[in-house]
Amino acid sequence: MEKTTERALSTTVGRRSFLKMAAVAGAFGATSAFASEKVTRAATEEEVKNPFPGSKKVKTICTSCSVGCGVIAEVQNGVWVRQEVAQDHPISLGGHCCKGADMIDMVRSEVRLKYPMVKENGQWKRLSWDDALNRIATKMAELKKKDGPDSVQFLGSAKMSNEQAYYFRKNSLGDIQKSKSIIIFGANPAVNHPVGFQHFLKAKERNNSQLIVIDPRFTKTAAKADIFAQIRPGTDIPFMYGMLNIIFKNGWEDKEYINDRVFGMDKIRDEAAKWTPELVADVTGVPAEKLIQITTLYAKNRPGTLIWAMGLTQHSIGTSNTRMAPILQLALGNMGRAGGGTNILRGHDNVQGATDMGCLADSLPGYYGLAAGSWKYFAKQWGVEYDYIASQFKDPSWMEKNGFTLARWWAGVAGVKSDDKIENAGTTLKALVVMGNGITSVAQQAKIKEGLDNLEMIVLADPFVNEAAILTDKKDNVFILPAATQFETSGLVVATNRSAQWRYKVVEPLYESKPDQEIMFELAKRLGFYEQYTKAMLMQETRDGKLEMIPEKKAFQWPEDATNEIARIIKTIGLTGWTAERVKKHTDNWHMFDEVTGAGMGPMKGEFYGLPWPCWTKTHGGSPNLYDTSIPVSQGGMGFRNNFGLEKDGVNLLAEKGSFPKGSKIETGYPEITKENIEKVLGITLTEEEKAACGANWKVDNSGILVQKCMEAGVCPYGNAKARAIVWNFPDHIPMHREPLHSPRTDLAQKYPAYPDKPNHFRVMTKYISVQSAADYAKDFPINMVTGRLVTMNGAGIENRASKYIAALTPEMFCDIHPDLALKHGIRNGGMMWVHSPEGTKIKVKAKYSHSVLTGNFPAGTKPYASGESVNTVTNYGYDIITQIPETKGGLCRIEKA
Amino acid sequence: MDYARMKFYCDESRCIECDGCSIACAEAHELPVGISRRKVVTINEGIPGREMSTSIACMHCTDAPCEQVCPVDCFYIREDGIVLHDKDKCIGCGYCLYACPFGAPQFPRDGAFGAKGAMDKCTMCAGGPLETNSEKERHLYGQNRIAEGKVPVCAAMCSTKALLVGDSESVSNVYRARVMARGGKGSNSPYGWDKAYKNQ
Repeated sequence: MEKTTERALSTTVGRRSFLKMAAVAGAFGATSAFASEKVTRAATEEEVKNPFPGSKKVKTICTSCSVGCGVIAEVQNGVWVRQEVAQDHPISLGGHCCKGADMIDMVRSEVRLKYPMVKENGQWKRLSWDDALNRIATKMAELKKKDGPDSVQFLGSAKMSNEQAYYFRKNSLGDIQKSKSIIIFGANPAVNHPVGFQHFLKAKERNNSQLIVIDPRFTKTAAKADIFAQIRPGTDIPFMYGMLNIIFKNGWEDKEYINDRVFGMDKIRDEAAKWTPELVADVTGVPAEKLIQITTLYAKNRPGTLIWAMGLTQHSIGTSNTRMAPILQLALGNMGRAGGGTNILRGHDNVQGATDMGCLADSLPGYYGLAAGSWKYFAKQWGVEYDYIASQFKDPSWMEKNGFTLARWWAGVAGVKSDDKIENAGTTLKALVVMGNGITSVAQQAKIKEGLDNLEMIVLADPFVNEAAILTDKKDNVFILPAATQFETSGLVVATNRSAQWRYKVVEPLYESKPDQEIMFELAKRLGFYEQYTKAMLMQETRDGKLEMIPEKKAFQWPEDATNEIARIIKTIGLTGWTAERVKKHTDNWHMFDEVTGAGMGPMKGEFYGLPWPCWTKTHGGSPNLYDTSIPVSQGGMGFRNNFGLEKDGVNLLAEKGSFPKGSKIETGYPEITKENIEKVLGITLTEEEKAACGANWKVDNSGILVQKCMEAGVCPYGNAKARAIVWNFPDHIPMHREPLHSPRTDLAQKYPAYPDKPNHFRVMTKYISVQSAADYAKDFPINMVTGRLVTMNGAGIENRASKYIAALTPEMFCDIHPDLALKHGIRNGGMMWVHSPEGTKIKVKAKYSHSVLTGNFPAGTKPYASGESVNTVTNYGYDIITQIPETKGGLCRIEKA
Repeated sequence: MDYARMKFYCDESRCIECDGCSIACAEAHELPVGISRRKVVTINEGIPGREMSTSIACMHCTDAPCEQVCPVDCFYIREDGIVLHDKDKCIGCGYCLYACPFGAPQFPRDGAFGAKGAMDKCTMCAGGPLETNSEKERHLYGQNRIAEGKVPVCAAMCSTKALLVGDSESVSNVYRARVMARGGKGSNSPYGWDKAYKNQ
């Protein structure tokens, strides 16, 4: 089959010989194999007549989720005329879900925002770009002068390319096919990542891999599972401790792995001992026998991979949940193994990239943090004075403080009813600038509206009208700017497996739309920092570790120079090898990579598709699986990162003797590499020139010498350490169960209470225990509510509802509800119902009888088209203690017939 | 020489109702909203062990019943088995819909009692009786991908490779290989083939 496949994929076949109906689309391999020789004959002239003469095909990447499916756009005379099949793409093999199959509509939809508009006196008015930008810039300058820079909030997006995100400021999917078992917590890839899900299905067929699904809902993924457990929302930690209880009792843990590569597993063992199957059954609602059955299946079928998504993260204990899952994997020795690991399925197409690039409230790009040293490093790399940057803040102390987050920025607006105290450089938020972010996709929509209503200025830049513009009653100074789609610009995007692809421009921006970077540059010009802003794109590193202006270079080339600037600066996660040239080469040659391993063939041999980071040098081939010690560093191997010191309470934090990436010169644990320790650790001597050129450590070394020497020794620059089961700087040192703020089990909320309230959490007081203990919510709101995503919708749904075909599939809001529960309230299938939240808000939606939810436990999906209410109006208060992600996956409600 | 016999097959153990196929079809042929040449259906939703999804369109049946009942003989069957029809001949009577075991024929709806227009259905991306790849053919029947040597778009874009299209021998081979890999679970014959192809 592979041979025929290859032949079938060469474009010449379709052109020169006429296939007499013999295309098997989508068989086993990278297919669309044309069955046999006998079914082809020479084509007649008429038969091969090209419907779009003179068209060209552009390879680009889908903008929906983070799987990173290939798209081939057929363009004729500058118009995208047809979406073609990327059959030879190593991740998607031509596949698309309904959103991906409709990518062409992102560009040609008739409901795009076509020119800049402003709301004045409650009426939308068209205005020119110049007018719009001038007015926005003037207001921003005025606010900065009057109220300080902290009065303006910027919200970026996971929809931008890396370059755009930066200027705003795991394992591969195929690897799943090597798993013997797959356990999924709070993820529904069959709906959210359909194309990625094909790898799960193939694992079942090829390896007889066991698919285990743990979810409050019987999802489409569960329908394909070998075993399914219906868990009460917010009780994943007890479930996993229950698994560990059984694992430790039977001695199924990987003792050698734990000894060599894990710190603090004893504390986990002690906690796990408390969670007997009977206790777990009471807390989670999953019968003890089922827990034992699942644990046995998962422990006996290794390597096993663990999958999670928003079902695990969107809780007030989301951070603990996401620590618990890797701990389970560490106990079984599943981390850093092909077919093992944790595969976190990310939502948006470039959410990985945008996070890497620092579209976060608590870090500069590349997770460098906000410490003065990091600002100084970036100032140097950007070719500007540290003092210049510092002068842009109210005072330098505010540079090092976290900003507001997407989840709670509204708390900083004056006039919003909230008793949560804010600490924002003595000002409230006066203006909001949003680029490509469906800000209505988070919890407590009523509060978002209040926030919007009370701002002095709102700027929303999107290809389609952002819902925020419609949600607010604000009458003046709401600007909507037509941003170009990602198909009308180009740039690098990072898929869920940390691999890079080049999203080529398909067509020029339509109507008056402008790409995001142009909007930012135009604003920068008007605010007087354009030169400083773009200078780094004209700079390069020199061999002696210095930075210089590139001789003769006057103007920058977008986005390539930005891509290269990022590769030059972001060393923490190993982006050095991600030059524009290399990433483009991978996308151009996506047919030369293996579907399962991602390994290159032919001219791409020695590299993995998309150069998954860390990609240590300009010749390194990328690292497909994190923390895999069975392969050399040069081929993507590594131990765990040394990020937290050499020892804790007298216990060694580095890996033990004998645990090291294959082929390493050092056969034990070692610290991260610095100028200070490199000679001692590697047993080498640097020349005086080398010493002079080196930066203080590998993360800030412009000469690249430290990393180079590491590569030569088969050593990972970030060290070889133990994974931490204990995080001593978090409120819970090991993950502890804490009931959701709104729990249906008041008795358990008393036994497993929420955190103490946390003041100044991303600049705003965030409540936990005081909310949880304020009322016996279960009495008035006895029903668990979970939000979920539909395959037809993505993010806030702005883009998908603009597609007439997709909107026709799911035209209205509905709520999945079990008939037993519905009938108790007199609610009929297809009838309307009210959903009330403890926050005092309510929505009216259509009831849809479903057996996928328990009686007294239902999810509400969001499917509005023009009409319909958002489920986020009734999602409850509750935010994670570390990241502030909203708790949309475990709340309460009350229902009645409408 | 034998011509290949074209068949559709949807592997229900892989189909996840993502609607990639139906949207790919609507978008590729620029169908009016409300015309579903291909539909994905799920039965027993939410019931463990019994939930099943599959993608359905015209199966291009052997001895196609639609062709047999059509009063104006607008259907024609190509040598490769693809069942097509002539929209200029069709009178929109709807007999074909009654005869079809798969509910494939679609009629544009202009209000509850509006007159029916000419029938529309899946062409297996093979266009219609008009000049190949002409503007008019594309307007009335959609793309003619088969003439371009391309795979029908629904199966080509299937996210999990559940939906297959091709000559019957190749499809059967893929089907058998999958059944073997799953340890012999599943039926002996692909779902729907008994009705559509009389197990030939």
